[in-house]
Amino acid sequence: MVRAIKGVLVECDPSIKAIILDIDSKTHDIIVENLDESHLIIKDNKVAELKRILEERLNEHTKVDSLEEEEEEEDD
Amino acid sequence: MATKRKGSITELAKPAPGPKRAKPDVSSDEDDDDLEEEVPDEEEQGAISRVLDKFSFTGARERSEVPTSDTVSRLFKRDELSFLKMKPDHESRPMWINPRNGKIILESFSPLAPAAQDFLTAIAEPLSRPTYLHEYRITPHSLYAAVSVGLDPKDIVAVLDRFSKIPIPDEIVQFINGCTGSYGKVKLVLKHNRYFLESSDMKMLQILLRDQVISEQRVFTDVGDGDGITKESAPKMGALVIPGTKIAAGVAQGQQVVQPNGGENEEQKPETAEELFASVTALKEGEEDDDDDEEAEAVHSFEVCAEGVEKVQKQCLTLGYPLLEEYDFRNDSRNANLDMDLRPQAQIRHYQEKSLSKMFGNGRAKSGIIVLPCGAGKTLVGITAACTIKKSVVVLCTSSMSVVQWRNEFLKWSTINPDQIAIFTAENKERFRGDAGIIVTTYSMVTNSRTRSHDSQKMMDFLMGREWGLLLLDEVHVVPANIFRKVIHSIATHAKLGLTATLLREDDKIQDLNFLIGPKLYEANWMELSEQGHIARVQCAEVWCPMTTEFYQEYLNETPRKRALFYIMNPRKFQACQFLIDYHEKRGDKVIVFSDNVFALAAYARKLNKPYIYGGTPQQERLKILQNFQRNELINTVFLSKIGDTSLDLPEATCLIQVSSHYGSRRQEAQRLGRILRAKRRNDEGFNAFFYSLVSKDTAEMYYSSKRQAFLVDQGYAFKVITHLQGIENLPGLAYATPAERRELLQSVLLENSQNADVNSIEKETDGGFFDRTRGDYKRSGPLVKRNNAKLSGLSGGDTMAYMEQNASANRRMKVPPGQQNKFMRKLKSDAVKKARG
Repeated sequence: MVRAIKGVLVECDPSIKAIILDIDSKTHDIIVENLDESHLIIKDNKVAELKRILEERLNEHTKVDSLEEEEEEEDD
Repeated sequence: MATKRKGSITELAKPAPGPKRAKPDVSSDEDDDDLEEEVPDEEEQGAISRVLDKFSFTGARERSEVPTSDTVSRLFKRDELSFLKMKPDHESRPMWINPRNGKIILESFSPLAPAAQDFLTAIAEPLSRPTYLHEYRITPHSLYAAVSVGLDPKDIVAVLDRFSKIPIPDEIVQFINGCTGSYGKVKLVLKHNRYFLESSDMKMLQILLRDQVISEQRVFTDVGDGDGITKESAPKMGALVIPGTKIAAGVAQGQQVVQPNGGENEEQKPETAEELFASVTALKEGEEDDDDDEEAEAVHSFEVCAEGVEKVQKQCLTLGYPLLEEYDFRNDSRNANLDMDLRPQAQIRHYQEKSLSKMFGNGRAKSGIIVLPCGAGKTLVGITAACTIKKSVVVLCTSSMSVVQWRNEFLKWSTINPDQIAIFTAENKERFRGDAGIIVTTYSMVTNSRTRSHDSQKMMDFLMGREWGLLLLDEVHVVPANIFRKVIHSIATHAKLGLTATLLREDDKIQDLNFLIGPKLYEANWMELSEQGHIARVQCAEVWCPMTTEFYQEYLNETPRKRALFYIMNPRKFQACQFLIDYHEKRGDKVIVFSDNVFALAAYARKLNKPYIYGGTPQQERLKILQNFQRNELINTVFLSKIGDTSLDLPEATCLIQVSSHYGSRRQEAQRLGRILRAKRRNDEGFNAFFYSLVSKDTAEMYYSSKRQAFLVDQGYAFKVITHLQGIENLPGLAYATPAERRELLQSVLLENSQNADVNSIEKETDGGFFDRTRGDYKRSGPLVKRNNAKLSGLSGGDTMAYMEQNASANRRMKVPPGQQNKFMRKLKSDAVKKARG
């Protein structure tokens, strides 16, 4: 019997797609189908949650690790 | 310490430490403690920071609550300044002054702006100079510099008032008076090889003399009045002429004479719109009269012994009267003169002249730092200063490559006898002939603290044993302050001149240079110089390269350290680089590609089949590559690691592409830009040099990139953002065009040791100036070959070694069926069977 899953087509930058794939890799319950470089189909009921996680992640990435900053300009 | 302070709060409430110490009888023990605490055995560091604290605007400068005038004013918070009254004729005045932080905003489109700009460069530090609005800030250091060129606080306030749209706020006036009152009142002068503290104010010297530490260092001379303070007339500027300026065409002889007063320097520049300046000039004339009076004024001085100079300097700093150092070189009879002059063909540009006139403000040489963009002729400024002083000179530079360059420049621009200019590097230790001469060496040679070879030790003794007229410090920003402290203490020199293009470090280790070398004497405006054609016009662009999905996925999974490698090796970035190289080579440009990361450098260069130079490239090969780049029409691109950042002179280069860089270093960005500022073709009609910075989107690189640009943006450069390079898809032979190729690249990047991503570790191996062997003898790494005793038979496996296979392949183990046994065991078995039958 054919089983239908309701999905949402997402179009995004390759880099954003990479983040979504990364989020999905832990639970495998978001992505229905990985279409190509910039397209994905995700489960309908996960959209809101994904949006939230994505937002968090993006904020994280704009912050730059303090570790690297400290190292700047040792004497040369 | 903290508890002590608690106990002495009442003491601290008393006014200044100076007069207090003057009490002849320090009776109670408690009092003694306090004195100790306040003054003596503190590190110089502490003293400096205390002085800095004392004069910071942010401290006690809170104004009582200002009534907010309208609904939006609270949004401006501390920048809400609408309570300030404007002058009625504010439209014709170009300047705003913020009373809260001493910031000055200048409308550079105003007709008065050029005059105001000259004035502001003298008294304030330029913060940002884009096209229309310039931002300056009055700081203690800048006022210190202003005083050192002879400006008077009264005049500073008066001129500020002329330019300002608002009446000068009281805070500013107080601040200016506070700073100038203590700075520059006392001068340290070397005369006849003796150190004198000199001041035009008798009281000042008496205050100093009452200080215990200073009076201990004092030397009593037989001449002088009851106080032992010598009185003589102030130096007249006389007829000191900076060589080279004479040739500056069409300028009357009288203008060549360096004026004693910084304010008058402004007069030297041609003023076209006379009427507009009428108000300013009127003021200047007033100043001139003052000067005449001043010249008749007497100067008081007392002598301190040479060994105590440093102590006295520190003490004066603690007291809040930093010493100005000046060198009266024309009256120095003890040190032999060096016979040298600028060659007639040496033309000094107007900004070089201006910077030098600040240094030789009153006929004596002042110590300080001159900031000029790369390629604007810093070397010539240094040489001219040396030719003016005409005494022995030590030149310190960053690498032995630039040592050679400096020597050649000296020979090229001045009439010095080649015998009198010597080089002191790891390979080359000579001395000059005669009594006076020039020695060119590197910072590392002088600061080397380990044992030296016999020759270099002898050379060092020579350097430290005599007295030098001028110490030229090239690229002062590269060396942290503690090294300077060492250099300055080991070489006895009358005047110090620091040269640099970018007086900034991310770690702020150069803050103290103001005290160690001297104030910033002059800073040039980059945009102005490029408009006049002294440096090339540059188009800056930031190219955004999207990350491919695969790379970005791996980027997310990695530790921050290794992440760098992914955004550097991003195939899209690679394509952008290839495209830009191709585009500019076709235009006939010579291209330099910079990559900090050596792994990426090699990968890019190999893939694109271009020559590359990094720390490990042998010297012969480097020279060959550079010569080919300069002359060979077929080699139009060269890849350089960070060794090419500074002191590499390639006037052929007209285009620069930056692939990877050192995090958020503003200095590196500016220094790299400097590589193309001296482009040979800069005077061609409509010529532009190009500076591209390739950045991978959505990565940390974006953040660093914006940080790096800050300095250049402040100098007035605008960065264009390119999100897509037109026609990149159609480039024949585009690298990594297919997903398969990209995956292959990803694999190779993944395999790379994460150490390769670590820019710092690579830098450790490869830094050290363009030519590596030049670093002086101490940094030589350990032996590369290890010696072991072994027999030849041992190496070939003939010794008592047995072959044993550990962890054998599963395939091989499967070959032997489990049931089968050794022949011997089989025989035993069959025998047993036979016996049983038998």
